[in-house]
Amino acid sequence: MAARGSGFGTALGDLAGALLPLSARSLQRELEERLRKAPARVNEFGFDPYGMSPEWWRRVLLPIVLLYRYYFRVETVGIEHVPQGRALIVANHAGQLPFDGAMLSAALLLEADPPRIARPMGEFWIPNLPWVSIAAARTGALVGTPSNCAHMLENGECVTVFPEGVRGMNKLYSQRYRLQRFGMGFMRLALGTNTPIIPVGIVGSEEQQPGFANLGRLGELLGMPAFPITATFPWLGPLGLLPLPVKYRIHFGEPILFQGDPTDEDAVIEEKVDRVKAAISALLDQGRAARRGVFR
Amino acid sequence: MEKVLITGISGGQGRLLARRLMESYEVCGVDREDWEGHPRGIRVHTVDLRKKKFEDVIRTELPTAIVHMGFIRHFRSDSRTRFDVNVRGTKQLLDHCVNHGTQQFVLVSSSYVYGAFPENPYYIDEDAPLSASRSYPEIRDLVELDSLATAFLWRYPHIRTCVLRPVNLLGYYTHSMIGQYLRQRWVPTVMGFDPMMQFLHEEDLSEAIALALQHGLQGVFNVTGPGEVPLHTAIRETGGTAVPMPEPLMRPLFDRLFKMGLISTPAGAIDYLKFPVTLAGQRFVEATNFRCLFGLEEIFQSLRR
Repeated sequence: MAARGSGFGTALGDLAGALLPLSARSLQRELEERLRKAPARVNEFGFDPYGMSPEWWRRVLLPIVLLYRYYFRVETVGIEHVPQGRALIVANHAGQLPFDGAMLSAALLLEADPPRIARPMGEFWIPNLPWVSIAAARTGALVGTPSNCAHMLENGECVTVFPEGVRGMNKLYSQRYRLQRFGMGFMRLALGTNTPIIPVGIVGSEEQQPGFANLGRLGELLGMPAFPITATFPWLGPLGLLPLPVKYRIHFGEPILFQGDPTDEDAVIEEKVDRVKAAISALLDQGRAARRGVFR
Repeated sequence: MEKVLITGISGGQGRLLARRLMESYEVCGVDREDWEGHPRGIRVHTVDLRKKKFEDVIRTELPTAIVHMGFIRHFRSDSRTRFDVNVRGTKQLLDHCVNHGTQQFVLVSSSYVYGAFPENPYYIDEDAPLSASRSYPEIRDLVELDSLATAFLWRYPHIRTCVLRPVNLLGYYTHSMIGQYLRQRWVPTVMGFDPMMQFLHEEDLSEAIALALQHGLQGVFNVTGPGEVPLHTAIRETGGTAVPMPEPLMRPLFDRLFKMGLISTPAGAIDYLKFPVTLAGQRFVEATNFRCLFGLEEIFQSLRR
């Protein structure tokens, strides 16, 4: 416990130290340079066909990068595996709020060459939420329907999916690093569009906001996908869902190009999905072995 | 020279189309209202689509092609009249086509028939179900007349039937609902929502209809314009100011005002300000090589005061 406590202290120290000498303006310039290099098809009003706006990214990128570099101190390994052109990035999902998705997007924009604007495939209820729907669309997310995803891939976008969905995001602390059941849609799409799959293991999100129980029924009544009970939620209100300053590691695996019939029966598809799952598990093990504690 | 009959010829879009077709076709038209000062060479019959006299017009004119856009898209008249003109009127018109040897029928439907839903895919194709009436029952007649025409398409394959579903139509002459909405000084929007919207210029729609006639198109086609922007960008570019309203207030307010007859927009229309209805237009482009002349900037310009 003492060791963990000191780790937390170091993390806060790192954060404070890093913030002080920070020249926000030069960082902003660097980020804008990367955004400019990221391939995007925007019209004269600055929007791409799905409502993504680099201008919006420009505004939200600084806080995300501060989180990336100084709060979660993300270490990214194997980003060179992200190909140019279409790619389907498949990662684990955890932590009550999708900070893992934001950090994965940040990694693709900050570390990939050329920088990529990730296109996350989101849940069906996102378009129903005021403001969230706008933020999601402007930063490049879309509802994860097969037709949306296929359309994006055919246009050479870099699509990120979390096949565990809510099952992964709201799982309990005792289930950490145990991959939940994967949806199979992503595999059918990869087969149908001949897209390489890049497995990704994200270490850190699984400990950022440990859930001890999930009152699904209550969540349903409130119109939420889940109702987690954590050390701080619901006791501190929505703020209670903010993540602890855990150390993130994002490990990108080698691309896997699957062959086969996208309309095959579930059993055949599942076999291929299991290969992706195994690859992500291996990456997670790699990432956990490489870190020295939850906060360092 | 082939003869085209246009229903709703005195409306803004009808006049544009008549002028566009004048050079290559003999043009006549019907409308409930007269077109004062129409060009010579175009015959305008002032007649109600539902009346017996309308069939007489078709019997004497014997058009080779009919472009149907003379139906009611606004909510100022009562729903009974609207249904009568739109659905029964279209059904009778289709019967006249069969009885009087019309070879080609073009229906100008709209993108609204697909309905605005959170699960809408980006780029809806022509095979998607027409679900508008699920959340917007007031326009079920527009869905119904679209379906009437698509059923007709299969029942009478010797008549070249073409259903066009253009996206939000804007322009100087056209009185589309979206046009009236965007022309307001203060434009109500739904707080926290800003869907992508596609627009098409009225002249480009005329061009699309002309191409459909010229190619003898048969089938259902989305007609899309130069691109898409978020609703709030469109409002800004047309010179208005968006007034975001919280949805829980907006819906009952619109409902009440509509029932009292103070506004002509039912609450169901609010969904079109929340969720994207963006269409895939490749099928039409591949069939006709259609390319719109007006860009988004020019389309918005045409609405500015």
